[in-house]
Amino acid sequence: MLKTKYVTLMASLPPLGKLFAAKQTPISRIKLENRLKMLTEEDAARLKQIENLIHWSHLPMERTDAQIVDAAKQFFQEVSNQTLRAVIESRLDLHTVIAALRRRQRGDQEPPQGEVWGYGRWVSYIERHWREPGFRLEGVFRWVLEANRLLAAKESVALERLLFGTVWEQLNLLSEGHYFDFEAVVIYVLRWDLVDRWTRYNSEAAVKRFNKLVDSGMEEFRNVFA
Amino acid sequence: MNEQLYLLVLGWVGLYAPVALGAIGASIGCTIAGQAAIGAMMELNGGYGRYVGLAALPSSMSIYGIVVMFVLNRPVTPENAGGLFGIGIGAGLAFLLSSIYQGICCASAITGSKAKPEIFGLSLAPAAIVEGFAVFALVFALVAAAGLQ
Repeated sequence: MLKTKYVTLMASLPPLGKLFAAKQTPISRIKLENRLKMLTEEDAARLKQIENLIHWSHLPMERTDAQIVDAAKQFFQEVSNQTLRAVIESRLDLHTVIAALRRRQRGDQEPPQGEVWGYGRWVSYIERHWREPGFRLEGVFRWVLEANRLLAAKESVALERLLFGTVWEQLNLLSEGHYFDFEAVVIYVLRWDLVDRWTRYNSEAAVKRFNKLVDSGMEEFRNVFA
Repeated sequence: MNEQLYLLVLGWVGLYAPVALGAIGASIGCTIAGQAAIGAMMELNGGYGRYVGLAALPSSMSIYGIVVMFVLNRPVTPENAGGLFGIGIGAGLAFLLSSIYQGICCASAITGSKAKPEIFGLSLAPAAIVEGFAVFALVFALVAAAGLQ
């Protein structure tokens, strides 16, 4: 039978719509956190753990790759739910491949020796195929060659767009069959995070554009009195 | 003697099962759909009535249970006890499961139409189809009951 633990919570959350069409999140972080108070203590802690594993930007800079890997191992020991495991696995796989691409891009001729730099079943495979453009993972991760190209071209916005789109699709697939259960809540929050980050990137771009316009306006102003 | 008593108990269980199971299912179904209605009302500023109405849809299963019980209601004898048990339990289980799944359909309809109000009518289709299967169970319980002594 379908799990219906969080019917009220899921029904109270607005639809997220399309990722790249969003101008802002349909629900603010404060409001979302208020709604998430409907989670049991255990589920709230699990959600926090998942967010910490996936989103590193708000964690201390001194957090090492090894610590992240330890946290992932602990998660997989504690959690048997297949969907939640798949959510974390797919995201850590993506982080691992991107980490390898970035290391190679910065000039690492060989895979890292004697240090933990990634997590999952592809780490040793990537190390074996370090010199291949897509680590011979094109069949598994269709985006890897494109990501490699964008990284080489330093097109960071296009790369982010590619990765966000990939994660969004993965979450869409994993959400099949989950409508009112904890997995649905986790997937909603992770997708909300994507929308939030993407729309904030846009606002940052808008601020830069605004500053540029102001600067050019000031330039004209200076020219008037030149 | 013991065997007869056992048969009579089964007969009485069958007689009351449609109402009991139908009511249990309707409670669960209405709870699921009602939770969705409350969630939707937290997000919206109006149009609450139709969500509350939709949340009450699974309650029809308990009415079907009452109808079947009235049709089955007769003096329980060792001859008709087996028939009463079979029809009553069968119909009751059908109402129980139909109402739970109908509740889930209604909850999905509420969340879906909250996001896209124009699909409200169409979103009711799955719940209506489930209702149709419960009506099959009701009608054929009535047909089968006509053959009982």
